Amino acid sequence: MRQPSAGEALTSALSAEYAAIYAYGRIGVRLTGAARDAAHQAEAAHRRRRDALVVQLTTAGGVVPPDRAGYALPYPVTDRASALRLAAEVEERTAAHWRAALASTTGSERDQALAALVEYAVRATRWRKTAGVTPLTVPFPGRPT
Amino acid sequence: MVLTCPVGMGKTTQRDQASGHSRRKLLSAGALLVLGGAVTPLTGCDLFDRDDQPPPPPDPLRPMVDESLTLAAAYQSSATAHPELAARLNPIAEAHTAHARELARVLGVALPSTAPAAPTTAPAANPAGALAALRALEKTAQQSATAACAAAPAERAALLGSIVAARATHQEALK
Repeated sequence: MRQPSAGEALTSALSAEYAAIYAYGRIGVRLTGAARDAAHQAEAAHRRRRDALVVQLTTAGGVVPPDRAGYALPYPVTDRASALRLAAEVEERTAAHWRAALASTTGSERDQALAALVEYAVRATRWRKTAGVTPLTVPFPGRPT
Repeated sequence: MVLTCPVGMGKTTQRDQASGHSRRKLLSAGALLVLGGAVTPLTGCDLFDRDDQPPPPPDPLRPMVDESLTLAAAYQSSATAHPELAARLNPIAEAHTAHARELARVLGVALPSTAPAAPTTAPAANPAGALAALRALEKTAQQSATAACAAAPAERAALLGSIVAARATHQEALK
C-alpha cells in the first residue's frame, strides 16, 4: 500500500474533524451538567484543529475538502448512554486518522499529529469513565481493529 | 610527556609521594596515552580500514521492550500488594505486555520471558500511593516514547504513537 503524502494524511484528518464536530452537535444535546460541559470542550478542541488544518492546507497550496451538511452516525443518539458511547467512539476514530498521519509526517507535523492522537485517546478514556464502561483504555489507541 | 616529569628512577619512593604522584599512576597515564595514540589514527583511515565492520548501534526500540516489561511488572506487583486495585491494574499490565510483544515482533527478536529487572521499589503501602507511583512511571515512560516516536522511521511511527497515547491514557485511568 502506498504511503499517503503528508497533505493527503492531513486532508483525511480534516475530514475526520468535520465529522467529529457534527457528531458532538448530536451528542451535546443528550447530556447534562459536567458531561455536557465536557462535550462542549471536546467539540471546541475539534473546531480548533479543524481551523488550524484549513489554514495549514491552504497555505501549503493543497486541496481543502469541504465540510458536508451531515454525516452518517454509526447508530442513533437517543439518550445519555448512546451519547457517551458515541463520544468515546468519535474520539477513537479521530485519533485513528491522526495516528495514520504519523507515518506520513516528520518534525513539527509529526508532533502535531501525535499531540492530537494523545489528546483524543485520553478524551476517549474520560468518556468511558463517565459512562462507567470498563476497561477504560485500549492497548493501542487509534489502531484499526 | 611522562619523561619530562622528575620521576626519580632508582631512588626511593619518598620523592614521588612528596610530589603527589606515584610511579604506577604516571606509568598508567603513559599507557593510556600510548593506547590513545595507537587507536586514534586508525579510525576513519582508508589505508588501515578493517574488513570487519563495527557492530551496528543498538536498535533504539530495544530499550522500549525492556521498559514495557518493567512497567508491566510494576503493575503486577502493585496488583498483588493491593488486590482491590487488580481489576483496574491488570488490563494496563496486559497492555504493556502487548506493547513489548509488538515491539519485539518489529525488532525481530524473541520476547524476554521476564522483566529485565524487578521494580526497584516495593509498591506503596497504601493504594493511593501505589496509584500515584504508577502514574509517575507512566509519565516518564510517555516522555521516552514521545522522543522515540519523533525520531522513528515512518514504518514505526504509528506503533510508537499508539504506545505514547496508551501511556497517557493509563495516567488518566489511574486518576
